[in-house]
Formats: sequence, structure tokens, C-alpha cells
Amino acid sequence: MRIDREIIILLVILSILAFSPLFFHDNPYVLHFLIMCLIWSSVVAAWDLIVGYAGIFSFGQLAFFTIGAYAAGMASLYLGLSPWLGILAGGLLAGLVGVLLGVACLNLKGVYMALVTFGLHLVLAPLLTLGRPIGTGGSRGLLGIPELELGGYCFSALEKVPWFYTILVISFLSFFFIFFITRSSYGLAFRSLRDAEPFARSLGVNGYKYKVVVFGISAFITGIIGAFYAFYVSSVSPRMLGLDTFLMVMIMLIIGGVGRFPRVLAGVLFISLLNEFLRPVEQFRSLIFGAVVIFSIILMPQGLIAFFENKFFQRKKNLAGGKKKLKDTQL
Amino acid sequence: MHTLLEILIGGIANSSLYAVMAIGLALVYGISKVFNWAYGSFFTWGAYIAWFLCVGSFQFGYTIAFIVVIPVMFLLGLSVEKIIIRPLRRQKGWEINTMMATLGLALFLDSLARLCFGPYMKSLPLFLEKNIQLGSFVIGLHEIIMFLTSIIMIILLEVFLQKTWTGMCMRAVSQDKIGARMVGIPANKMFGYAFGMSASFVGIAGILLSPKYFITPGGGWDVLIKSYVIIAFGGVGSMKGTLYGAFILGIMESFIVYQFGSMWVMIFWFTTLLGTLIIRPKGLLGTWE
Repeated sequence: MRIDREIIILLVILSILAFSPLFFHDNPYVLHFLIMCLIWSSVVAAWDLIVGYAGIFSFGQLAFFTIGAYAAGMASLYLGLSPWLGILAGGLLAGLVGVLLGVACLNLKGVYMALVTFGLHLVLAPLLTLGRPIGTGGSRGLLGIPELELGGYCFSALEKVPWFYTILVISFLSFFFIFFITRSSYGLAFRSLRDAEPFARSLGVNGYKYKVVVFGISAFITGIIGAFYAFYVSSVSPRMLGLDTFLMVMIMLIIGGVGRFPRVLAGVLFISLLNEFLRPVEQFRSLIFGAVVIFSIILMPQGLIAFFENKFFQRKKNLAGGKKKLKDTQL
Repeated sequence: MHTLLEILIGGIANSSLYAVMAIGLALVYGISKVFNWAYGSFFTWGAYIAWFLCVGSFQFGYTIAFIVVIPVMFLLGLSVEKIIIRPLRRQKGWEINTMMATLGLALFLDSLARLCFGPYMKSLPLFLEKNIQLGSFVIGLHEIIMFLTSIIMIILLEVFLQKTWTGMCMRAVSQDKIGARMVGIPANKMFGYAFGMSASFVGIAGILLSPKYFITPGGGWDVLIKSYVIIAFGGVGSMKGTLYGAFILGIMESFIVYQFGSMWVMIFWFTTLLGTLIIRPKGLLGTWE
């Protein structure tokens, strides 16, 4: 029953967000903050699908994001594709790369998997820099990506409200897509392969198929978000693959709690807020981030929400029989 | 022909150091199954401490640097294991949690280095500026010292693991943690020693490599990633595989840099690694599980 409650809370939050432009329509700073929150939320949700539900240590998420952004940018700059088709193209190309990566890694496990996916991330930056002949624009990246337009209305960089509603719809769709996957038979298969792979395989769960599927889905969603990001900031460059961004998104995932889909989004909000509050002390920012990561993993390994929930409902649980205490001492 | 041989010699000197770095990383992974993402930051800190002693504040020689760096890095590794890794081991998903905690530690240590030493590049002097003339070849003495130190370190580690009591305990823990505990080997202590040893290994590598390149706060990532690729290529858990991996990839690197430029190194390494892993999912000589 908790599952239903969580998704309802998510729905409520999203619908409250839908009204936020009423209050902030003349405040581009807040709207930009919300847009970035939604962008990273979708990326983190898709990442959680791979790491948390399928239990694959994948570090290639930002690579998919960048591939989607570049594909959309190049499609609309060189092919003159409509931006909406460009977003779809970004998603499809990232999904294709994800499927290929999944196929290449069929037999790999654990650390090897982490390495190959992180390798994709590392290789992408030099490839994009060296790819000037095929139009990736070298180290400067792509500039002047055309803006989105809808029925003759052209989105402008100054007016953030249309952008906000677009990303709200996109992330709404991706959240619910991910939600239904995690609660469908596919989600069950992912989790069974994560928890007991030999047993799941012996029951006839096709490990290869699900590995490829989870990579494809996660990369597709991330690619779409990346493509939207490319149109939103109207430029992409290999700097998107920088370590800072990578670590920030990963920290969001950690703080939110790996493998707890709607809850993981709390990490995005927390880290984005922390990021804004630490702006005056820029030079200490990564120092504090690092410390926050270490302590949050030691103190609240299940994520932010579960931690407060435990604190809050601790007494209730103890009254219920104190079985949990016993388990702890046994370990 | 002449240049090719010189590239080969430079490649071998670099590879020997890559072997040291990769073995340090593999040591921790082999014994405690913890993947240490802060390994590169240990490298940076080892180099910075040496810089502080030799260039920054004092003018000590390299001997003092080695004498100070080895125990300091050992203590750093030991305390990281004790403070961060040990509490995490009790948790359920500790494999991924330790990965992420060490990732946070890497961020912390790197930015601490940036705060302490500034964002600019630092460089250490060469051990010996002299070159040796061998027929028509000119070989830097520094490279020879690098090579010899690395080989000695690897041999010492191998002897330590095979012959001494502590080394044997470590291998026992790596083979079967519960079994080792049953016969009274303190597994946690062994994990701590493994962490400390790996940190001092990479600290030494930091001192040896920094005169050839520069020290920057984020420079350790390159080291981490290279060591990572090498142990996966050679096979996690196999010392021989790591050595082969280091020499194959290291020599390959110096030819790629000569032929195409340093941008291509990662692309070639990654393609080689992927090709190897598709055929042999556990690396060249991987034995682990």
C-alpha cells in the first residue's frame, strides 16, 4: 500500500509545481532552479532504474545524457530537423548506444561493469573533441542550437515559463514510465536478477534480455532529457562530461537512496538547494559535498526520506515488538 | 628504428610505475573487495606532501620525502579504512555504498588539496638530471631509478605476501573471510593494513611520477582510471595479470602518444579493454570468482 501512497505524493508535488509559475513567473532565477531540478530528477530516476532496480553498477548515465544532447543539437543544426523530432532523435540515439553497451557487457559483472560504463563516459569527451570533422564542433562544442517552437510560438531564452511546462510534462511522463516499469513484471525481473541471479535464471528469467532492456530504457529517457537540455541552454560542449557534474548527479542519487524510486528524488531537491546555498562559499563547495556524501552514507544508507521516517516512527516500531533491535545485535 | 626503441624504453619505464599503481589498487580490492575511488587522491596527496617537503616549505632531499610519505600515507589509508569503510561493511548493500563513500572521499581530499596548495600546477625536480649514454641511446637516469624502484617494490610486496605471517594472513582473508576469522585471523586489521599499504604504494608512485608530469589537485583521477583499466584488463585478483596488463597498456600508450597524440590514449585503451572483456569477461588472467 505504501507504493500507492508514494506515487500519490509524487503526483501531488508535481501538480503543486505546475502552479508555481503563477507565483514565480517574473522570477527567472527560481524557474531556472526548478527546471534544472526537474532535469536532474529525470536523469537520477533513470539512473536509479539501472543501479537500484537492476543492480548494475553503471556509471555511464551522463554519457547518455551528452549523447542525447549532441544528437539533438546536430540533428537540428545540420539536418534542419524540427526540435521535437530532434529530442526524439536524441533519445533514440542514446537508447541505441545503451542497447549496444548492454550487448557488449552481457557477461560482465560488478566492477567490470562499472569500469566499462565509466569508460564510455571517459572516452566520449576526447571523441567529441576530436570529432570536429563530423561536426561535433571540437572542444568548443555546438553553439546556437535553435529554440523549441510549438504551433508557431517560439520559446525564448528569457521567458522561462514555457520551458518549465515542457520539462514538467517530459519528466512527468518519464517518472510514470519508470514507475510502471518498476512495478511491472519487468521490474520484478530486474529485482530478481539483482538479488539472486542464478536462482532467477534457473526459473527462466532471461538475464541477457533484461540487461539490454534496462540499458535501452534508461538511456532512452536520459537521452531525451539531454536533448531537452541542449535546446534549453542552446549550446552543448564536452564540458558537460566534467567530473563536477558527474559527481553532483551521483551525489543526488546517493543522498536520495539507491533503489527507492520516488524517494530518490528528494536527493535531487536537497543537493540542488545545498548547491544554491553554498554559492557564496564557492571554494568550500566540493569540500562540503564530499563530507556530506561520506556522512550521509554512513548515517543514512537508505536515503534521506527513510532516515527521517525511521527517526520519526522509531518509537512506534519499538513498541511493536523490538524485533529490529534483536536483529541488529545478531549481526 | 632508433626512435621506436626510445619510445619502447620510455614506455617500459612508465609501465613499471603503472604496475605499482595498479597493484596498489588491486591489493585493496583483492583483500577487502572494496573498490577505492579515492585512490587517485591518495596519489595526489603523496605527491603534494613530497612537494611540501622538497620544494614548498623545506628544501629536504628525496630521502626525507620517502621517509615521511610512506608512514603518513600508511596512516591515512589505515584511518580511512577504520573511520569510513568499517562502519559501512555492516550495511546490506556495502559494495556499492563503499564505492560511493570513497567517491565522496575523493571529492573531499581533492578539494582539500586545492584549498591547501592552490589550483596551480606544481612540479618536483628530477631525482638526477643526468643522462646515460648507451651506444647511440640516451636514457634519463630518472627513468632508470623509476623502473628499478618499481620493480623492487613489486618484488618486496610479493615476498611479503608469500613469506611473512601478516602477508599470509592477508591472503587467507582474501580467499575466505569467514574461514580466516574462524582460525583467529583478525580480518578487520588485515583490511586496515591492506588499505595502508595500498596508500603508501600509491604515495611512492606519486613521488616517482610527479617529476615527469605535474601535480594538480585533480590529477589523481587519471591515475585512478589508468590503474582501474589495467587491473580489469589483466584480471582482478591476479598479480601476474596486472603486471601483464600494465606493460601491455603502458607500452601501447607511449606508441599511441607518439603516433596520434595523447587524446587517443583513452580511446585505444577502452577499445582494447572492451574487446578483451567481450572475449574474456574476467580479464586476461582473471581468477576471482
